[in-house]
Amino acid sequence: MNERSVSVRNGDFQVDVLEGGSGDPLLYLHGIAGLQWTPFLDQLANGHTVIAPHTPGFGATTGTESLQDLQDLIYFYLDLLDDLGLDKLPLVGHSLGGMFAAELAAIQPARFSHVALAAPFGLWDDSDQIPDLFSIPLPELAAGMYANVESEPAVAVATAPSARMTEVDPDTAEGQETISYLVERSKSMSTAAKYLWPIPNRGLSKRLHRVTQPALIIWGEKDGVIPPGYADRFAAKMPNAAVHVVPDAAHMVVDEQPGYVAGLIESLLAR
Amino acid sequence: MKIEMFHLCPYRDLPEDFREKNRSVWVDVPSHLFDAEIATRTYNETLDELKYAAEMGYDGICVNEHHQNAYGLMPSPNLMGSVMARETKDVAIIIMGNSIALYDPPIRVAEEFAMLDCISGGRLVAGFPVGSAMDTAYGYGSNPALLRDKYAEAEELILKAWTEKEIFAFDGKYTQLRYVNIWPRPMQNPRPPVWVPGAGSIETWNTCIDKGHLYAYLSYSGYKRGKQVMDGFWKVANAAGVDNPYHAGFLQLVCVADNEQELHDKYAAHTEYFFNKMLHIYPGFADPPGYRTADTIKAGLLSQTTSFGRGSTKELTFDEFREAGNVVAGTPSQVTEQLREIAKDLHIGHLMLLNQFGSIPHELAKENIRRTAQEVVPNLRDMWSEYEDHWWPQNAIVREGTAAPTSAD
Repeated sequence: MNERSVSVRNGDFQVDVLEGGSGDPLLYLHGIAGLQWTPFLDQLANGHTVIAPHTPGFGATTGTESLQDLQDLIYFYLDLLDDLGLDKLPLVGHSLGGMFAAELAAIQPARFSHVALAAPFGLWDDSDQIPDLFSIPLPELAAGMYANVESEPAVAVATAPSARMTEVDPDTAEGQETISYLVERSKSMSTAAKYLWPIPNRGLSKRLHRVTQPALIIWGEKDGVIPPGYADRFAAKMPNAAVHVVPDAAHMVVDEQPGYVAGLIESLLAR
Repeated sequence: MKIEMFHLCPYRDLPEDFREKNRSVWVDVPSHLFDAEIATRTYNETLDELKYAAEMGYDGICVNEHHQNAYGLMPSPNLMGSVMARETKDVAIIIMGNSIALYDPPIRVAEEFAMLDCISGGRLVAGFPVGSAMDTAYGYGSNPALLRDKYAEAEELILKAWTEKEIFAFDGKYTQLRYVNIWPRPMQNPRPPVWVPGAGSIETWNTCIDKGHLYAYLSYSGYKRGKQVMDGFWKVANAAGVDNPYHAGFLQLVCVADNEQELHDKYAAHTEYFFNKMLHIYPGFADPPGYRTADTIKAGLLSQTTSFGRGSTKELTFDEFREAGNVVAGTPSQVTEQLREIAKDLHIGHLMLLNQFGSIPHELAKENIRRTAQEVVPNLRDMWSEYEDHWWPQNAIVREGTAAPTSAD
């Protein structure tokens, strides 16, 4: 895996891009929990060059302050793809990145050969409401993200420092560590809030019919961040989409069942 | 020094087991606990108490804005302000204030404040709070990541609408107006003084110093936290060459009685009601993403409900709240001495006192108002007489021993 910094719009954005594997390019847009080079991306990199940018506001990518709304962000991504010379490639997005992927596939359908959305945000149905992920207690959030609440990443989410009631002393090393974590988390979550607050609906349902490529909707059976019932709502609007609900997985389905999900995507690309 | 009475207009009749049965007094407080007959009584008694405070000798009376809560029943403090403007003749009418980022277009605030300034004959203080996380991000669904940016734009628009003589076009990120031309315009020239209530965000200190607005620290967490925040403010202020105590205000709960027994009998249960029920806020509403900026987090300043509340999730007693400085309670001379100490130590020229808080009933609230106004307030006025108060409304009364107002600009 390589990491490189790409300048977009004359340096308004410095984009931290992870890249690995070989073969034709595949674009991966990460979810609300951020981006790491995971076993899932390793699997996808078998046979593809996986290109995975940190979205502005996450990791080292700069420029989130100049993005006011989803439209600003989508045009940023179009600039990035132009600069990277990416065209006619498969697009995979998870969670928040799934929402961005759906928007990109709708605005430039010809640019993407296939579309895989894993637990994407973007639709809202009053009769099946998405929990308020910004205010639920962390143990509840962890249980929504991971089917196995005793797994290491689930425990890390459940016990993470929280600004909510934390007494922080900036004069200690431990305090500084907590503060760094909270600053980073505040940056990424306030970025996510631009696209999700107070209700994660920016009108995608009016555009989703334009996603005509061979497509796959993947959902963890136990997703407590976005209820799995949303899989069919996405598929109903997309003329060429199949749905796969993955057992023993929740919102972090791509990390919880990396081999299985990567296999589903391989099958999609063969269509 | 100027001493003002602050009223929150709390819902006084929550059930005994409210804390055990409900997670929050704010945002998702159950609607079945609301009784309109009680609200009718509460609003009218609140207005009577505000008027009474003016009659008893306070320099100004303050109300503020909150949403979806039982802590303070005034989603629109301007409605209370319009009554106060009619019912009083000379005191400052301090609306503390309107959460300007929440109004679309924000010139609604410029218009209503101009109305209040005209009705009161130039006695208005215009408060511009960012607003609590619960009010803005949850109650009004405003995006916490954009709130401060929206606030800055709204402030610019309102100040310009008040002071610009020509009709102008405003091309903002959040508000676009082809013809800005408010009628009425404020009576005060060039405009009413602006006070900014804050809960300890570093950005608010900088805004106040840069723009020359009064900074008022409104919290119930007592002297220690107050000292931490006001020291932070004065550090920023002093670096900019500012040391006028009238540039700052501070809120304090006060109750007065003749002896310890009477204090306990009259105020203990109501104080406990205030801290244990009115500030019972679900922690998940404390820190929506982006509400606190990176600089505030880096300074180790706690999230708003922690400070806004009282830094503890436990039920505490009257004596513990007194010990922590959450409430100043004593005989008139004890209270006077403590308030002088606080004003001196925090270097503040505007002291905002809560005489009605929690479940204090009407007659007792009036007693507390009368005794504070007559036996405490006159003995504080001489403080800071060597400074000029640039933050007082031009036509509000200046009682003996306080500094005279001068133009805000």
